[in-house]
Amino acid sequence: MPIELLVQALLNGFALALVYVLVALGLTLIFSILGIINFAHGEFYMLGGYATYFGVAVFGLHYVPTLLLAIGAVGLAGVVAERLIFRHLRGKTLNAFIVSLGLLWVLQSGAQLTFGVLDKPVPSAFSGIIRAGRVIISVERFVVVLAAVGLIAVLYGFLQWSRVGRAMRAVAQDPDGAALQGVNIEFTSMLGFAVGCALAGAAGGLLAPVFAVSPPMGALPVVKAFIIIIVGGMGSLPGAVLGGLLLGTVEGIGSLFFSSAAVNVLGFLMVIAVLLVRPRGLFGAA
Amino acid sequence: MPPSPALRRALIGYGLLAAGSLGLPLVTRDSYHVDVATTILMNLVLTMSLRLEISTGQLNMAHISFMGIGAYASTILMMRGGYSFWITLWVAGVMAAVWAVPIGGLALRVSGPYYFLITFAFSEVVRLIFNNFFAEWFGGPSGLVQIPKPDPLRLAGVQLTFVGKVELYYLMCALLLLAAAVLVRLDYSRFGLVGNAIRQGDVLAETLGVWVFRYKLTAFVLGSFMAGIAGAFFAHSHQVLHSSDFSLEPMVLLVVFTVIGGTGSVWGPVVGTVVLTIASEFMREFHYYEILVYGAVLILTMLLLPEGLISLPGKLGRLVRRGGGGEAEAMGAGVAP
Amino acid sequence: MAVSDLSMMVTPGAIHGLIGPNGAGKSTVFNLISGVLSLSAGEIFFKGERISGLRPSEICRRGVARTFQATTLFREFTVLQNLLVAAHLRAADGLAPALFASPAYRRKEREALASAQENLTSLGLGGTAQAGRSVEKLPHRDQKALSIAMALATGAELVLLDEPLAGLTAQEREETLGALRRLRDRGLTILLVEHDMKAVMGLCDVVTVLDHGVRIAEGTPREIQENPAVIEAYLGAEDARA
Repeated sequence: MPIELLVQALLNGFALALVYVLVALGLTLIFSILGIINFAHGEFYMLGGYATYFGVAVFGLHYVPTLLLAIGAVGLAGVVAERLIFRHLRGKTLNAFIVSLGLLWVLQSGAQLTFGVLDKPVPSAFSGIIRAGRVIISVERFVVVLAAVGLIAVLYGFLQWSRVGRAMRAVAQDPDGAALQGVNIEFTSMLGFAVGCALAGAAGGLLAPVFAVSPPMGALPVVKAFIIIIVGGMGSLPGAVLGGLLLGTVEGIGSLFFSSAAVNVLGFLMVIAVLLVRPRGLFGAA
Repeated sequence: MPPSPALRRALIGYGLLAAGSLGLPLVTRDSYHVDVATTILMNLVLTMSLRLEISTGQLNMAHISFMGIGAYASTILMMRGGYSFWITLWVAGVMAAVWAVPIGGLALRVSGPYYFLITFAFSEVVRLIFNNFFAEWFGGPSGLVQIPKPDPLRLAGVQLTFVGKVELYYLMCALLLLAAAVLVRLDYSRFGLVGNAIRQGDVLAETLGVWVFRYKLTAFVLGSFMAGIAGAFFAHSHQVLHSSDFSLEPMVLLVVFTVIGGTGSVWGPVVGTVVLTIASEFMREFHYYEILVYGAVLILTMLLLPEGLISLPGKLGRLVRRGGGGEAEAMGAGVAP
Repeated sequence: MAVSDLSMMVTPGAIHGLIGPNGAGKSTVFNLISGVLSLSAGEIFFKGERISGLRPSEICRRGVARTFQATTLFREFTVLQNLLVAAHLRAADGLAPALFASPAYRRKEREALASAQENLTSLGLGGTAQAGRSVEKLPHRDQKALSIAMALATGAELVLLDEPLAGLTAQEREETLGALRRLRDRGLTILLVEHDMKAVMGLCDVVTVLDHGVRIAEGTPREIQENPAVIEAYLGAEDARA
């Protein structure tokens, strides 16, 4: 097989996987701080998509400021959801599952009623292609990759060096200990939830011009995000990045040989294989 | 020895379930009502057996896959092998249980959210296999059609047929009462006690000599057996099978029924399944807003009744007593009677 | 907290104390013996058989039970239900016996119940009113007593007690010490972690001192009290804490 084909397949796989890593990072951040899996996470991705659609297609704003606004707006929506609902469910995995499911239905059907069931195309801000030998990538996808990598770096810096970011890591490791150290658990949880949602919103905004926006658009990325965090290990940031790259590789190369349905099976088989060898994921705490 | 209060409650509960389900066709024979009621009874087998697994603190998202394994096994055996329903029904359960041993054995090596996610991964793999692979057996994306109804049964010289809706309803009723008898019996035995203990503290239970893994696997296999039986009934009463019948969506509904009803009691899933199925029939009145309202109801129920609908009477009781008894109750709190 | 190169021997029928400053690795030793944590190197033997590498329930079946530092009970259960779970190894296990209530199952359940009641009485928790009480509502002392009773109910020959005196009043301590001596006289072997030095020195036959995961001394209470290394490590830590 020509090497270009392989590189092209990998590139295609990575471009999407990196955006799904953003969704996964939000999911895993919320899990590590509140101890719950937010099933409505894909709906925050959808909100990011619609915010971008309204900014660009309806109000005619430029794509970049719109994306920033969308991230902020979805973060705010996260604050509301945490204050109204999720702070009551800290650590109650099963109840949080049902509630986030309820929220998923409310948001999805709310979006359907408000915005309609039809796909809304978002005009692309970037055109043209980059060519390197026989490997081709559209400028649009290239920008998406750059933005995703940039956001991952920002998140890493935030968690590593900022005061609140470190407080989040402290809460994730040991809530009682963090409280004793004077960390405000309530505030940190709220912020963690908001940052998690904002990441999903960013992913939605980034992919809005690539795919169109529609009420059920959050389902696929959230499933991919689940695969990524199980493979990488829940609560681990480097794990999520590695999980994303692995998924991108498997799906990219898999798409050369198999049908798309079989590629989906591959992703799940990878999950099962990883968990058999490392039951808590590649980077999960033992 | 007189029956303990717990045992008496179990017998009363079972009596109510039996009377309610057996008596329903006396109240209505309306075809639509019987359809809904049959689905409720089938879902009860699924939710009650799911609760057996949840009661150890593990949510198995692949439960519906074992229903699928049972459904396809029974269908293929009958249509290809020519076996009678009264054999394929039990083979369906056994087949689901046999697959449950390796799948459960692998999944139960992890717990909490990992278990949840790995079982979800298994269920997707199973569904995608039904949908895309071995199409000559599973029918591929178009599924299997024209599945025969259950064969007639000759019992003590009487020929029973299972063609009409009410007849099928009674068949499901018998299967449910059998499954419920086993589950209720277990819940009030050492098996239920230990399962409950594992949920409260699995490390403590393990250090007290309970082999937690084996216990969970036993519950997993038994739950899967029952799901397989429900699957066989589903196949031969609906007469069509499609991989989407065993996808995330119906699985999620089973979890919703079970948790909204309450996983703390063997009767929680019964309350949840019956109430939510009937409620969603009424919610059709909301037309476009149906899903929105349903979602909101779930959120509110979980926030107001974290232990599920089954805890409502107890909560109301305490509320009424507090209203009437006032401070005396508050002061007496903590003192054993 | 890591433990390294630890070698210790518990004599059958003795009360063996395991002491050391905070963070010395005492609870880790308990977790390793009971199988809650797995050893990265080394072996543990009980009655001549290797128990390291076994799952905790199997170690318990072989005769080693434990309590936890933060008194751990099944919070939603009554006193009696807690004891019934603890008597699990004596009961008929599995699905079929429970389902069909075979005579053997019922006999074993009666025996488990009887031994649970007996344990209740021997710890001063007897009487049906107590048995039916929810453990949440028990006073601290009774919760501690119950956790020990549960370890005993497993039929263990060696029990690991993690701070059995913590949080008790002076009089309750005396009562607990008396109960532990009676258990030893009945042939039980006890390994305990305790911070109350006076109690440890008065109660134990042998004491092992850990510091930073390493054994620094072992001997009779008298030998330990005179050991300079112990005095330095232990009292130094005490001073630092004060």
